[in-house]
Amino acid sequence: MFRKVLIANRGEIACRIARTLRAMDVKSVAIASEADRGALHTRVADEAIVVGGPEPRASYLDVDAIVRAAKASGAEAVHPGYGFLAENAAFAAAVEAAGLTFIGPTAEQIGAMGDKRAARAAAIAAGVPVVPGAEGRDPAALAAAAARLGFPVIVKAALGGGGKGMRVVEDVAALGEAIEGAARLARSGFGDDAVYVERRLDRVHHVEVQIAGDGRGDAIHLFERDCSLQRRHQKVIEESPSPAVDEPLRARLTAAAVALARAIRYRGLGTMEFLVAGGGAKAAGGEAALYFLEMNTRLQVEHPVTETITGLDLVRMQLEIAATGVLPLAQDAVTRRGHAIEARVYAEDAAKNFLPQTGRAVKVRWPEGVRVDAGIESGDSVPVHYDPILAKVIVTGASRDQALARLADALDASVVHGVITNLPFLRALVRARAVERAAIDTEWIEREFLAGFAALATAPAPELALAAAALGERLGIPAPDRARAPAPRRAALFAALGRWRLPGLE
Amino acid sequence: MRGAWRDGDRVRRVEVVDLGAGRYRVTVDDVPLDVAVERLDADRMRLVTDQGATVAELTAAGARRFVRLGAMDFVLDRESASRPRGGRGPGGGLESPMPGVVTRVLVAAGDPVKKGQPLLAIEAMKMEHLIRAPHDGRVRAIRARAGEMVGGGVPLVEMEGEG
Repeated sequence: MFRKVLIANRGEIACRIARTLRAMDVKSVAIASEADRGALHTRVADEAIVVGGPEPRASYLDVDAIVRAAKASGAEAVHPGYGFLAENAAFAAAVEAAGLTFIGPTAEQIGAMGDKRAARAAAIAAGVPVVPGAEGRDPAALAAAAARLGFPVIVKAALGGGGKGMRVVEDVAALGEAIEGAARLARSGFGDDAVYVERRLDRVHHVEVQIAGDGRGDAIHLFERDCSLQRRHQKVIEESPSPAVDEPLRARLTAAAVALARAIRYRGLGTMEFLVAGGGAKAAGGEAALYFLEMNTRLQVEHPVTETITGLDLVRMQLEIAATGVLPLAQDAVTRRGHAIEARVYAEDAAKNFLPQTGRAVKVRWPEGVRVDAGIESGDSVPVHYDPILAKVIVTGASRDQALARLADALDASVVHGVITNLPFLRALVRARAVERAAIDTEWIEREFLAGFAALATAPAPELALAAAALGERLGIPAPDRARAPAPRRAALFAALGRWRLPGLE
Repeated sequence: MRGAWRDGDRVRRVEVVDLGAGRYRVTVDDVPLDVAVERLDADRMRLVTDQGATVAELTAAGARRFVRLGAMDFVLDRESASRPRGGRGPGGGLESPMPGVVTRVLVAAGDPVKKGQPLLAIEAMKMEHLIRAPHDGRVRAIRARAGEMVGGGVPLVEMEGEG
């Protein structure tokens, strides 16, 4: 096993990786931008190196600076976390070229699965269904393909990702202009005017399968996660098992994911994302349709959901595969128990179009007895430059109902004051009837939840809240900061570490 | 004691009258509320009204108060008479809506601008926010440069013309 690992990330994920390194007796090296000096992720690591300025490209995206820091610190391996350089093939190559181990897939695998066209081709070659579609340059041929697929269709640039320039076309009349627009955007954005037309799937579940490969052709799965509760393609709540997946569908999903992982001889942990149409397990008769969407060649934000139901530590698995080239356990040793749900706490104002918020989190308090992967403690700053995720609250229960009830309690008991967060949004969301009944899909939040929530959130505060503020001013509540004892920072940290235990790893 | 608090898009007027023995009459927008107050610790108090008892927890962040009642959080900003808040400060200035990095300056001092025209772009946490002209007029001064970091509520553009 490695003796020292550099964590090329920040925030909650850097803290979470550091915990496993500590549990494995591996020294951890944090990196920080100048805006993150003294941030929680630097405090929980054994050492920390400031690699550059606040702008991501000057620090967390600066390949040379990070590789230099890794070499200087004597680290033997680099863990990229998620986001930033985690799916950057050049970074993986640079780490390996410096004689260090990249904890993740090969640079070639990152490159291949990051290219939509190549990933789709790999899925088809492995016998995994993809969303029906066609690529081309000739408008007449594309129009014919659209008619064959059936409206509505999605028209987008064949290259690139992230849904850039994606348009939903309802009928043939609007098709010509959409194809022309997509071609123009594709040419200017990606230097290739190929356009992709695909069937638009309505009311789908986003179900993804966690896989692990040894890089030599063997791969296993760690069951699925359902991430259908999204707002503008950003996941908000994730759970496992998926309420839309029954045993036959689970068997098909996991078999497809493992087949693809084996076909590309995938190394490390990864996730195959699928769309499940036709109401998933609830469709009466007939098979639910599943379509490969894309692969994520990294640890996912929502990996704790899988850890909670399987009792496995996914970061430990990543380290073991990277160090030995062997899967640490066989498929039949992977079992699951109960139901796990995760909610993402963001510094954003859900009532104001999810506008990101910054500032000092004056007061941060998490519920007892619940796993919380947090990137901040009381007094920490939320800088402007980075993704606004603050923490993840993860609960478990014998049933989905029990887990949801515990999540509601845990969110009620979570306090972040000083910076506006989406906690009120999450508290309302987990109590929505459709969420309780799992009658949701990837667009449900926008279609049916958001307007009602916004009305609630922008309603006048109760008189008692105003009275509390005014009485506080009158009585000196809260007491000014200087009059209060300094926060027991180290103590709080170790208490948090002590609370964070994975089943099966004690 | 009177005060004004910003509650989302509204300004709420609150008056506190001491009735003695830890009891107060608080009038919020003409709605009177009799409250018995018991201080619990540095940031919490128990409020008893004829509706029952509630623990309120307060956190200060500048002029902002985070108010927690039970498991509900409210954000209120103390309004001061001297500093009107919102997009337009005194003297036709346009303020940054949030802390961020100025990514683009789209106009120069002296430029005539139309209502709604983008003047400057600020980026915070992967989102771009455009500062637009609130009315037709002329730009008097630009107070920020592209690439500069600015705090929230900082004047960025000064406008001439009708407000």
